[in-house]
Amino acid sequence: MSRREVAQRHGEVAPGPDEPVPSPGAVEQTTVTSTPASTPALPPKPSRVTATLAAVATGAVVLAATAGLNISWTELGDVPGRVVEYLLLMFADPNWEKLPRALFETWRSISMAWLGAIGCVVVSIPLGMLAASGMGPAWLRVGLRAIFAVIRAVPEVIIALVLLTVTGLTPFTGALALGIAGIGTQSKWVYEAVESAPTGATEAVRAAGGSTAEIARWAIWPAVAPVLMSFALYRCEINIRTSAVLGLVGAGGIGSMLSNYTNYREWDTVGMLLIVVVVITMVFDLISGSIRRRIMEGARVRDVDRTR
Amino acid sequence: MTIQSTTGGAAAETAAPWALSLTDVSVTYPNGTRALKNVSVHIEPGEIVSIVGLSGSGKSTLIRTINGLVPVTSGWVTAGGHDVTRARGRALRELRGHVGMIFQGFNLADRVSVLDNVLVGRFAHTPTIRTVLGLNRAADRELALRALDSVGMLEKVWTRAGALSGGQKQRVAIARALSQEPSVMLADEPVASLDPPTAHAVMNDLARTSSERGLTVLINIHLMDLARQYTQRMIGLRDGELVYDGPAAEATDADFEQIYGRPIQGRDRLGSV
Repeated sequence: MSRREVAQRHGEVAPGPDEPVPSPGAVEQTTVTSTPASTPALPPKPSRVTATLAAVATGAVVLAATAGLNISWTELGDVPGRVVEYLLLMFADPNWEKLPRALFETWRSISMAWLGAIGCVVVSIPLGMLAASGMGPAWLRVGLRAIFAVIRAVPEVIIALVLLTVTGLTPFTGALALGIAGIGTQSKWVYEAVESAPTGATEAVRAAGGSTAEIARWAIWPAVAPVLMSFALYRCEINIRTSAVLGLVGAGGIGSMLSNYTNYREWDTVGMLLIVVVVITMVFDLISGSIRRRIMEGARVRDVDRTR
Repeated sequence: MTIQSTTGGAAAETAAPWALSLTDVSVTYPNGTRALKNVSVHIEPGEIVSIVGLSGSGKSTLIRTINGLVPVTSGWVTAGGHDVTRARGRALRELRGHVGMIFQGFNLADRVSVLDNVLVGRFAHTPTIRTVLGLNRAADRELALRALDSVGMLEKVWTRAGALSGGQKQRVAIARALSQEPSVMLADEPVASLDPPTAHAVMNDLARTSSERGLTVLINIHLMDLARQYTQRMIGLRDGELVYDGPAAEATDADFEQIYGRPIQGRDRLGSV
């Protein structure tokens, strides 16, 4: 028994002459509650009702979704076999006869991606700068950001489908769709880069009597240009991947060719096309990735700590 | 391009120095911090004044009310008879064009050449369309080069600012302010990021070029020996209130203890070099 307990018990036990001696049970009780080894009173258990209800609801949604799709579970066992069958059809002996044409279509896809990326970047940089806080007026900032959010919500394919009715089945439609669809994300990157740029040079240009345009050109732009270049290359990477998808809806390029040969069920040619798409995309990612890394690492800003 | 070899900017065109006046100025930041509390101070044209106080005492805020970088919550600020408090837009930029400023962090655009950084000083006097396109006028370039020459940085004119040392960066920043042909020079802790020998060299350049042009100078500084050595008059701030105003050379250690609200410590002096 620890010294503290002894003292406590002693204090409890020592009664005044007139007071009744406490019963041994009461003494025992006080001792027990003060012993560290005994079970302390638990705080009320937090309610798990909300979490349980959420889990049940999620389960119900999953079940309803599964039931609604009329999946024939008995055929599920055949799926891996059929996948292997088609993979063999495509890749066992790819048909390289159409390779020149595939490369030409790839070139068109890449052109589409490049043009789309350039258009997107050229539009996004000024719009994104205007949407950065501290650059344009508040109403313009709110309006632009709303437009970017709407564009981000619409997939490239939908934009291409809408544009097809206007400009027809051409790679230019693809480039235009890629350009427009990228503006939402690209501009967001721009204004986030501008807002996270070091503020020192901005303050200096403002202190020298510079206007907002001058701040943008001589304080913000030098600070964010490498990041924006990197984003532009990244946009190009994304577009090269997306351009294949746009081909599926008829915008031309390797995607259209892929779509056609899938419809003709010429699996050996499809296999060759898939190899071309994957290799070209990976090569572009590698090149662009290494350039971007170079830009970013050369662009590390040493910011000096300012104490106000 | 030939530069008339002027030793310093003595031959440079000098704008008349301005008087500065703060009347009952208070600044409360949006987050509720009261940075300045009813400060009134008048500075004569051509005076070289240090503002002394611990960090957080309101020095940076005070100096920024003079060119309107920080708007005052109440009170009036006038510079050279112009009302800074009411100035907006073009008038404010015009006014700022007469007030040079240098910063603790130098605030240069690192990826831009020294010359382009110094030409920022001409922005208030140049149409925006020219500066944005980088079409600078020969006269502006001449002023920028002279300013660089007066701080001994002429040979670095094509160097990227980011490649310079701290002392060189601050000299370029001084040149940027001088190329404005200012009437007032504001310096916010100009040497706090520099090592002691460089600090003295930069303070010398700042004091020399300013006095050659007869500028009104306001220097925020937390080091007592620099304040005594380089400035005529000293203003002490503590918790946003003006607690000292007198000749800098005669300010005693007791005066500093009163401004700082604590005993003098070793780090309050730069030390002799």
